[in-house]
Amino acid sequence: MATVQFDQIKKSYGAVEAIRDFNLDIADGEFCVFVGPSGCGKSTALKMLAGLEATTGGTISIGGRDVTELGPGKRDIAMVFQNYALYPHMSVRKNIGFGLKMQGMAARDINTRVEEAARVLELTPYLDRKPRALSGGQRQRVALGRAIVREPKAFLMDEPLSNLDAKLRVQTRSEIVKLQKRLGVTTIYVTHDQTEALTMADKIVVMKGGEIQQVGSAEDLFHTPNNIFVAGFIGSPGMNFFHGTVATGADGPVTRFGETKIALPAKCAAMAGRDMIFGIRPEHLRVAESGPSVGLTLVENLGTEKILHFHTPGQNMLELDRTALANDEERDAQSMLIRVIDDRRYRDGETLNLSFPVDKIHVFDPDTNEVAG
Amino acid sequence: MQKRHPLGTFALYATVIVTCALLLFPIYWMVVTALQPSSNLRAYPPQFWPTDPQWNVFADLLAKHPFMLWFSNTILIAFATMTISLAVSILAAYALSRFRLRGGQGLGLFILTSKMLPATLLIIPLFAIFRSTGLVGSLWSVVIAQATLIVPFCTWMLKGYFDTMPPELEQAALVDGCSPLGTIWRIVLPVAAPGLAATALYAFVVSWSDFLFGRTFLTTTDESWTLQMGIASLKGEFVTEWNVIMAGSIMASIPIIIVYLFLERFLVGGLAAGSEK
Repeated sequence: MATVQFDQIKKSYGAVEAIRDFNLDIADGEFCVFVGPSGCGKSTALKMLAGLEATTGGTISIGGRDVTELGPGKRDIAMVFQNYALYPHMSVRKNIGFGLKMQGMAARDINTRVEEAARVLELTPYLDRKPRALSGGQRQRVALGRAIVREPKAFLMDEPLSNLDAKLRVQTRSEIVKLQKRLGVTTIYVTHDQTEALTMADKIVVMKGGEIQQVGSAEDLFHTPNNIFVAGFIGSPGMNFFHGTVATGADGPVTRFGETKIALPAKCAAMAGRDMIFGIRPEHLRVAESGPSVGLTLVENLGTEKILHFHTPGQNMLELDRTALANDEERDAQSMLIRVIDDRRYRDGETLNLSFPVDKIHVFDPDTNEVAG
Repeated sequence: MQKRHPLGTFALYATVIVTCALLLFPIYWMVVTALQPSSNLRAYPPQFWPTDPQWNVFADLLAKHPFMLWFSNTILIAFATMTISLAVSILAAYALSRFRLRGGQGLGLFILTSKMLPATLLIIPLFAIFRSTGLVGSLWSVVIAQATLIVPFCTWMLKGYFDTMPPELEQAALVDGCSPLGTIWRIVLPVAAPGLAATALYAFVVSWSDFLFGRTFLTTTDESWTLQMGIASLKGEFVTEWNVIMAGSIMASIPIIIVYLFLERFLVGGLAAGSEK
């Protein structure tokens, strides 16, 4: 168990900067998740921590010891890979015990530790099988066993659930969290799946383009995103965005959504006359008696919840290419979503009135994409 | 599963039998020729199995010629060539496959083009080198000459095999505390066993069947001859005892069969199955 620190870490491939100014402190025993879209540098950061990629600048410390120049085997870490990377010519027993053997541990002690790890992970019946005779879930547990048996200072996990089917992924997700809580080992986990990040992490690091966008708990990121990218990335379905000019109304700042005025948070008073980007989560939009009127273009019934789609009014539509959401291929600037949990039957083409709770509206500066005010 | 039509089954078996017959006929004819006097060879109708097999031809061959010496020379050359070629090409192929080397892509192609040079083109410069280093007449001359031709192709073969192996296997071993060379020894080589077996077999067969280099560099005394040179020497100016030559050829082919049988279990692919999802 140990703290992990990244201090001014940089990584370049020739002229291409993969990681810039990466500063992060991970506390002892913390479960930290790096999350972000493909190519954001999260796996590179993890590999630099593991010693599998050299840093271009900065220092990495594990347990207060500078390990930047040490090889992977000397950092006292264990890693679980996306494709498990089990040694195919070795039995499960030898796979799990390989790291201990490399440490020079006596065969009898290795066997005791391997059998204990196998018992914890329910792998005892499979100890003498080769990896090819195991299912995907069992292979995944062998990979975990190989990590926990060494009792390292930190676990590094590189998308370890992405090859499992949906049901097994949910089950294994909670098993990993329970295991980590029980062992209390500092864990750094990389994923592109924000659901994994939100459900597993004590601390989430959102990355984009080789830079940290925000560090915080799931609550922090969900309720107080720093910028438009984090706001759009965290949450499923993602936050709705629209733009409008801030005006001063009788009861405080307002903007127009379509032809109707909606109230804005009080902090917007200082932004009167400026064009701003506003965000509101689909679950925070309310179907109301009065308010902006919208026509439903699609109703997705998911059983307990329904996702209602409607067109963003033309004058409020964002030019995504001019924001930090430019590369978000799933985002459609023309549509906004409402997430409702009720028994009402909604129909395509139906007209609804919406209310925008003032305290749920996020305001972003269109020039910086950072939260405003 | 759809049941195969009887005609399809017949065609399949017929194809297999005809192919096997075509492949095995030279070996069968080699045995038949060895077991009967040369005078019977041109008999008409031909005898498909000698009425009185001359088994003593093998004993005669061993008694009249230093066959076992040629045999051990060839074994030494083949194993030395195979070992050196594999040792060099494993490291070269691994480096080409795993490291971002400046000009690595071009180097890989250059290695392959060097294989396209005919062996005869290398004979004169190699002879000059071996004469100046005093290696003419030494078995090492053939080993080195063979290796110059075999290493490029083995490197290319192994690089292709290493490219198919997930690099995470080695990364996992490094994280587990294995040294880089230890990773190659403990993880890469066992997982690449099918590729290594195919490469080793290629190196052994090419070097075992060498005649050109042996004939050029080992002419000083018949004690340094290889099997191929020895068997060629059995062809007389006026009379050739084909039964003796075929007996020698049968014995010369036995090591190849043994090496193949030993390596065959590694040649079966799919060893890496199970390492990944």
